[in-house]
Amino acid sequence: MHIGFDAQRNHLAGGAVTVTSPAMIAKTHNPERQAERSFARTVMLLVVLGFGLVMFAGLAALGVMLRGEEQSRWLDHTYQVEREVSTIRLALEEMRSARRGFALRLRFDSASSYGDAARKLHTGIDRVSALTRDNPAQQRRIEELRRLANSLDSVFRASMNPGAQRSAQAEAERQQLAQKVENLATRMVDRERALLVERAQARDDSITLFYIVLFATGVLLALVAVGSIWVIRRYTGELVGSREELRSLNENLEDAVAIRTTDLQRANDEIQRFAYIVSHDLRSPLVNVMGFTAELEAAIGPLQGFVQEVARDKPELVTEDIRLAVEEDLPESVGFIRTSTHKMDRLINAILRLSREGRRTIVPEALDLDRLANGVIDNLRHRIDELGVTADIVPGMPRIVADRLALEQILSNLVENAVKYLKPGRPGEVSISATTAPGRVLISVADNGRGVDRRDHDRIFDLFRRSGEQDQPGEGIGLAHVRALAYRLGGTISVESELDKGSTFIVNLPAIYAGEKAALS
Amino acid sequence: MNAQQAVNIVMIEDDEGHARLIEKNIRRAGISNPIHHFVDGTSAMKFLYDAPEGPVHSGPALILLDLNLPDMSGTDILAKIKGEGSPLKRAPVVVLTTTDDKLEIQRCYDLGCNVYITKPVNYENFATAIRQLGLFLSVIQVPDIDEG
Repeated sequence: MHIGFDAQRNHLAGGAVTVTSPAMIAKTHNPERQAERSFARTVMLLVVLGFGLVMFAGLAALGVMLRGEEQSRWLDHTYQVEREVSTIRLALEEMRSARRGFALRLRFDSASSYGDAARKLHTGIDRVSALTRDNPAQQRRIEELRRLANSLDSVFRASMNPGAQRSAQAEAERQQLAQKVENLATRMVDRERALLVERAQARDDSITLFYIVLFATGVLLALVAVGSIWVIRRYTGELVGSREELRSLNENLEDAVAIRTTDLQRANDEIQRFAYIVSHDLRSPLVNVMGFTAELEAAIGPLQGFVQEVARDKPELVTEDIRLAVEEDLPESVGFIRTSTHKMDRLINAILRLSREGRRTIVPEALDLDRLANGVIDNLRHRIDELGVTADIVPGMPRIVADRLALEQILSNLVENAVKYLKPGRPGEVSISATTAPGRVLISVADNGRGVDRRDHDRIFDLFRRSGEQDQPGEGIGLAHVRALAYRLGGTISVESELDKGSTFIVNLPAIYAGEKAALS
Repeated sequence: MNAQQAVNIVMIEDDEGHARLIEKNIRRAGISNPIHHFVDGTSAMKFLYDAPEGPVHSGPALILLDLNLPDMSGTDILAKIKGEGSPLKRAPVVVLTTTDDKLEIQRCYDLGCNVYITKPVNYENFATAIRQLGLFLSVIQVPDIDEG
């Protein structure tokens, strides 16, 4: 029913407007969306920056801690040096007391205890020298100390020889040298102590720094965490909100579509019923018209016989008027009534057929177009051969899920038309081919026939409308029927044609028939 | 037809023209039984059930029924005639209508109609059909209306 389908399309246009609610328009409003996007970018940047800072702070804390450890090691080192220097001083003291003891002959083993002390002194100097390799000033001092200690050692050892000079001057010189060594050692200890204080201070500073950095890191971490949580919460909230909104919109949409579909279904049913009742009820009086016309026709025979009889017997009774009425007017009128009623009968049957087709249930199934097209051609083989038409199917057509009967009728009607409207003097050619588009299958039926005038490209799909010379029998139903079928399968039909050049009818169908409701929306 | 009692033909048909054509062609088939014609359901039902000369009170009948009536649907009449406890349950009903809708035909047979005939639009076919119906009527046996 092409009327029904037009009405559906009008309804649909209205439906689209209702479905686009103000909320949706606001949602898709551009500047707002852009602002939201830039805000999201800023937040993302801040979060990344925050985490970067936390990482940096962590690294800084690690660095500070490592430095503190280093400083502790240095402090330890300084302690060691100080201890060693003290050992040197102690050894020096021991040397002096051992020498004094030897001079006063207080003990017999003073010589060996002096040797021990001297060894201790040299070992101490060696150790300090090894420890203070990093400190050139101390190194210088220790070398000085080593030189002084060596000379002191040799002076002391000389003084302990039995034949040694025992003058007061020599004694004073020895004491002076010892004092020098003593002073140098003391200076070194002082230096180390100063270093110790310095290093302890540095270590304390670095510990403080470490705590500060740690604290800062903690604060930063807390800030980033709070920020992240805030952002996440905000986004989650928005997400939940928009999901909620989407769901309600979706539900409304479904409701709207359901209502619209029901409306359309009802409108379509109404039109189907209307077409059916009209065509059906029109038949009833037509039966009478045809019936009584036949009775009239049957009555003409005896009447003509009677008039002829009268004309033979009493010619004066039969006027020219009576003769004409009985022999010409009556048969002619009955003939016209008959032709008209026959035509009306065919038209009513066409409407009935369309309305019945509209009520047929669509049974989708997977179809092999090659085979289907071959079947259609085979069914029309007799007519095709009779007219010397070449029918060609381009193999490798895609598969399609649709109603077999509807598709067969579409192709059959199109091929029939192609065979019917040939260009006189040119052998006919018909070709069926198909291509795919995303989700669609485009079936083409091309011919080299007489073509359709551009003005009539839309008109030919209307019921009872035909194009070109009316030299072929037909009611103008075929293409209307094809279009109704294409619509029912969720598709469309169009024609590309030029007068005298041939026509190509293109049926655009969904690759997979999605049901009556989907076809409507 | 029934030898003892003339079978009444009750024709329920709202279109006078159709009724006339049907009657003509039945007569042409040589059937001379009385034909009672009604153009609406109400008067037809009154005749079928209440009239003294109607089938319930006097003898067998055959009903020709059109489905499109002005006051009630033909299927309602059919349902009433063929319904449980109806005295006319056994009376043959020939549905003679323009409707060739499959569902409608099924429904009529479900309700108990005996013959369903679609009126052909082409008059020659129509006349032939009615004449053959007449021949058919001349040979079928119609049961007596059991008053018990």
